[in-house]
Amino acid sequence: MDRARSGDRQAFAELVSRYSALVFRLAVSILGREFIPEAEDVAQEVFLKVHHAIESFRGEAEFSSWIYRIAFNQAVNLKARVRFRSPHADETVLYRAVSPEPGPYRQAETAQRDQALAGCIQTLPEVYQSALRLYYWLGAGVGEVAVLLGVPENTAKSYLHRARQLLHGMLREKGYSSD
Amino acid sequence: MTEMEPREAGIDSLLRRSMAAPVPSLPPDFDQRLMREVRRSSQPLDRYRRILLTGYGLTSVVASAVVMRGQGLDWGAIAVMILGPLALVATVPWARRATHTTTRQSAR
Repeated sequence: MDRARSGDRQAFAELVSRYSALVFRLAVSILGREFIPEAEDVAQEVFLKVHHAIESFRGEAEFSSWIYRIAFNQAVNLKARVRFRSPHADETVLYRAVSPEPGPYRQAETAQRDQALAGCIQTLPEVYQSALRLYYWLGAGVGEVAVLLGVPENTAKSYLHRARQLLHGMLREKGYSSD
Repeated sequence: MTEMEPREAGIDSLLRRSMAAPVPSLPPDFDQRLMREVRRSSQPLDRYRRILLTGYGLTSVVASAVVMRGQGLDWGAIAVMILGPLALVATVPWARRATHTTTRQSAR
């Protein structure tokens, strides 16, 4: 860290290789499946910002918390800008691609419910959305969710718990069962 | 996630099933491309910034000296008024570095 701060490119390259995948996972968890190329752009922007500001990093906080905070803000800002742009891939297409349901009627029903669920997820607060995608899609454990979101493990657990409760209620209101 | 209310179990399995999709990853050459971008973005910017700041500084010094001379000040006073703040500006980063080093040493 000290070497990277003093301008050592090799040390900075080591930081990139250590954190790039995690920063990308965090960005993807915020932007969702429709904007994966944008998540890659976010990861690049984050490291360029870090490189630019690394001399001013005083080490009061953990370097990882600092970089994840930058990534979170960068991804949330980008999401606000790309929200109205048409996505690269419709989420329901991805759902159908992995749907194991047998008959066409059942498939259509499942696709409808999945679409409703995707819509509900998008109305949740950003941290809940991110926690859900990290946990259920990207296969992160509660510990990793907590680290990436910069919160204690219990808070990450409560994000997931609250998100599930909210989704259960929203689906019921739309007339779908979550069982 | 050991403790889960029964009504949560349903939404949990629904989420597991409906969010199951291929996990994306960064392209293998991402780190190399990023380091190229870091090199590209930092070098010309530093050079450009340095040239700009030097030009601005020199112009300010000359303009200040001309204005102060026009007001009737002698060259000694003009030199003190220009070099004094410059010396102060040069001292601040040095003092900050010295303080930072002392703090880190005492923390160890």
